Formats: sequence, structure tokens, C-alpha cells
Amino acid sequence: MRWSRISPQIALAPAVTVTAVGFIGSILWTIYVSFTRSRRVPEYGIDFTNPLRQYRRLFDDTGWNIALSNLIILAIGSAVAIVIGFLLAALLERERRGEDFFRTVFLYPLAVSLIVTGVAWRWIFNPSLGLQSFLEGLGITGVNINWLADGRTAMYAIILASVWQSSGFYMALMLAGLKGINTEIWSAARIDGASLWRVYLEIIIPMMRFTFLTCAILLSLGVIKAYDIIVAMTNGGPGQSTWLPAYFTITAMSAKGNLGFASAAAVMMLLITLVVFLPLVLLTVLQQRVAARGGVA
Amino acid sequence: MTASTTAEVMFPRPKKRIRGRQIAILVFLGMVALFFCVPLYVMVVTSFKPMDQIREGAIFSLPRIWTLEAWRFAWFEACSGLTCNGLRGGFWNSLRILVPSLVASISLSAVTGYALALWNVRWAGSFLFLLFLCAFVPFQIIMYPIIIITVKLQLFGSIWGVALVHTVLAMPVLTLIFRNYYKDIPADIIKAAMMDSGSFWRIFLEVILPMSGNILIVILILQITSIWNDFLVGVTFGGVGAQPMTVNLANMVTVSTGTVSYNVNMAAALLTAIPPLVIYFVLGKFFVQGIAAGAIKG
Repeated sequence: MRWSRISPQIALAPAVTVTAVGFIGSILWTIYVSFTRSRRVPEYGIDFTNPLRQYRRLFDDTGWNIALSNLIILAIGSAVAIVIGFLLAALLERERRGEDFFRTVFLYPLAVSLIVTGVAWRWIFNPSLGLQSFLEGLGITGVNINWLADGRTAMYAIILASVWQSSGFYMALMLAGLKGINTEIWSAARIDGASLWRVYLEIIIPMMRFTFLTCAILLSLGVIKAYDIIVAMTNGGPGQSTWLPAYFTITAMSAKGNLGFASAAAVMMLLITLVVFLPLVLLTVLQQRVAARGGVA
Repeated sequence: MTASTTAEVMFPRPKKRIRGRQIAILVFLGMVALFFCVPLYVMVVTSFKPMDQIREGAIFSLPRIWTLEAWRFAWFEACSGLTCNGLRGGFWNSLRILVPSLVASISLSAVTGYALALWNVRWAGSFLFLLFLCAFVPFQIIMYPIIIITVKLQLFGSIWGVALVHTVLAMPVLTLIFRNYYKDIPADIIKAAMMDSGSFWRIFLEVILPMSGNILIVILILQITSIWNDFLVGVTFGGVGAQPMTVNLANMVTVSTGTVSYNVNMAAALLTAIPPLVIYFVLGKFFVQGIAAGAIKG
């Protein structure tokens, strides 16, 4: 019987080590370094007269402020993917014919690296050979879709690619949520003579509030982590106009002599994640309570 | 009268109206599907065109002459950085990264999930919560310390270093998925197995593993696609010698000097996309389960 106690502990040792060193230890190390003057190599003395120097530098940095406002722009813009996802899921749920086919099409962008699809999007946005010249060939002039070349519009191109990539994912989550709804609600609403629109707006969507909230949180987490899409589509340019926190931090880390500064940016990313993450924990607790009461989640 | 019979009475509506609505829905879905296919379509037709036709600018037109030249060039000769050996090297690197990453991450997480779900470990609850938090940590906050660790272990810039980092990063999510799967195994089965042999490892290999077919396929597909598609870990830890295919591709399409061969770029991008796409189209159902499980903590 003794072995039955010890074996599991031994088996768990690697995972505990990974968590302790790779995650907890590494996070603490980065937080610590963000308060030091570390430049090229880590320095471990904290200058207590000015421990927040890296954070001051960070918030004075133009690139970081651009990255923060782009984060909000991208989060709001990408939210379209949730709306599209719900719309597609609702339509697929009503019209089950071809569900497998459409689901396969809507989800394939998720199976491919953004580095790959970014190549395609840049090509589509190419002003002389891409969609622009196709439209001009059709006689449609005056439409400027050379978005990637202009700092004011480059984020739109990134939002478009990101919506295209993630809509299928939200559709899959919404479809799962819709299928969990009791069909009796439909017939009950029919008896009341409610129109389709009103059933969706007043019954189905409120019932799926947890699914929507989950989608919103996952979207925010995805936006905070968004890195590949920037590398693939603009590499941050033109200028710094498409920088995002994830991109900013990596760039600062690979630039020499910026370790403390980059660590401060990484800590800010962690804080933003926590702000988004807290509702998820609350949501899980709430959901369990509702489930315990016998409601529909 | 039960609710289901009510529904049957209420639902038969005039058939004509239903058909019209159904057609409208299908047409709309079809148009959205077309939009979703645009990037893939453009990549495929461009990769088969010669550059002469590309310069004419008709992005959606089919190739007049279908040629595999761009594909051949992308695989054997295209330049990525200073070397001009095509994508071959990156492909093999990706494959050599993939295999050890899969073996290490899946065995580590499966054993951990099994121990946490079915054995009486007192701190299992708090450890699971910790893993749940770790699953959402942004990579950037642990990136530099892990670089130092891999350098110290002399793994930085090698296939094994990249595989190690993939294993570490995947461990929390995969463990949670495995644990959630194993905790639903009936307690009686485990009790019987304990009476029979009682050994932690024998129960895992002889009882649990044979029951894990479903979840293993889901996780295998989730891991294959995410490791193959990874860019950040590869570019950070791969150094010069162990760059995966995505990094190779990114160098090829962004740094190329002189005239840009769009057909070669598209062929290179498609070559990189083929392995996950094949898996997706063949085993799509498991892929959907995987991303759903991976996204919502399993």
C-alpha cells in the first residue's frame, strides 16, 4: 500500500518541476528583473531610489502607447468575429443541410498557420497586382484598398484577416451552445406567436450569455497574444503603426540592452491578461452555481 | 399533450415559405463560404502561374499554362536569409521537432492527468488550479528565463531545445484535458484494477491507456497542428540550425531581395500548409473537438 502513495508523487514530479521552474519561477524572475536596471545582461541589484524606472520608460515610449491603443482597436474590431460566428451558427442550426460541409469551410483557416495565410492576405492587398487591380479591371476605380501601405488603415487589414481566421472558431463554440438549448423552448415560443427575430433576441441570446462571455474572454486573450499575424502581415509597419504589446515585448527582448525594459512590458502583458482572466474565474464559479440551481448555462 | 407533439402540430407551416427561406439561408452560407475560400483559392492559382501572367494583375484568373516550376523552386532553391536551399531544410526540421515534442508532451500530460484524476493526491486540487492559471500565461513573461535555462542546458538552438519548450508550454492545457477525461472513468474499474495489481504504472499501461484512444487522437491532432503551425517558439529557440518550416517561410517571403516571385511565395506557403490541411480535411471532427477542449480549459 505504501507504493500506491509514493508512485503517483514520483509520477507527478516532472510536471511539478515544469510548473515550478518553467512557469512560477520564470514569472517571478521576470517580475524581479523588471524592477532592476538590467540592460544587456540581467542585473540583480534593485535601485530603491527609482525602482519603477523601467515602467516609466515604458509608458513614455511612443511604441508602447501605440501598441496599447492598437490592442483596443484590434479587440473591438475582432469582436465582429463573434457576431459572425453566432450568425453562422444560428443559420447552420436552422438549416442542417450541408452543416458538415460549411463547418469544414468556415474552420479551415484555423488549421493553417497565420504565417501562411498572412502571405495570401498581403498578396490580396498588393496594390498593383492584387484585389485593387482586379477591381480597376472591372472598371471600379476610386476604391482604395491599399490598406497595408498606410499607417492609418493597416490595422483594418489585420482586423479583416483576424476575423476571417477566427470566425469559424466562435461558430463552433456557438453551435455547441445552441445545440444545448432545449428544443421545447422553440415550440413554446411558437405557441406564443413570437417572431423568429424576437425569439433569438429575447430568448436565445440571453440564454447563451455564458457562451458569449466565454467567447469574449477567449477573444481578448487571443488579442493579447496576437503576434504571428503582425509578423506575417506588416512586421509592425508602416513605421510602428501596427505594433501590439506581444510584438512590442518580443522586439524589445530581442533588441540588445533592453532586458529590464522588455521585462516591464512582459509584466504589463501579464497584468492585462489577469484583468481579462479574472472574469473567467468568476464566470466558472457563477456557471456552476446556475447549473446547481438547475438553470440552463 | 406533451411538448414534442405540440411542436409537431405547430411546426408544419406552408411548405412554400419554408423552401424559400431555406434557399435564402443556403445561398447566404454559400456566399460566406466563398469569401472564406478566397485566400486559399488565390494562393493555389497563383502558385501554378508563371510570373509573366502574374504581372498582368488578374489575381482571380486561372493559370493559362499550369506549371509546377514555382513549387519546385520553393522546395529546392528559394532563398531564406543567406542560404538558398528552399524549404526542404525547414520541412525536415519541423518534422524532427514534431516527433519528440509529441512524444514528450503527450506522455508527460497523460501521466500527470492520470495521477491527478484517479490517485489520491492531497494537493491535486490546488495544483490543478495552478495549471489552469499557467495555461493562460502569456509566453513573453516566461520567455527570457526559459532562454537562459535552455542555454544552460546547452539545448538552445537545437531541435531538442525547441521540443522541450513545446513540451513545457503545452503541459498545463494538455494535463487539464487528460485529467477531465480520466476523472469520468468509473471508480469501480479503478478499484478492481487496484485489487488486481495495485501498481500505478501497470494500471496506467494496461487499463487506462487502452481506454484513452479517443482523447489521444484529439490531443494528437491538436498538438500536431499547433506545433507545426508554431512560429514564435521556433524563431526564438531554433537559432540558425533548428528553424521550423514556418520560420523558414517567413524569412523567404519577407526578406527576399530583388524581384519578388509571388508564385514561389504562394507555393512555399502552400507547402507549409499542406500537412495540417491534410490532417484537418481527413480528421476534421477530432480537430474541432481538440480546439474546443484546448480553448475552454478542457
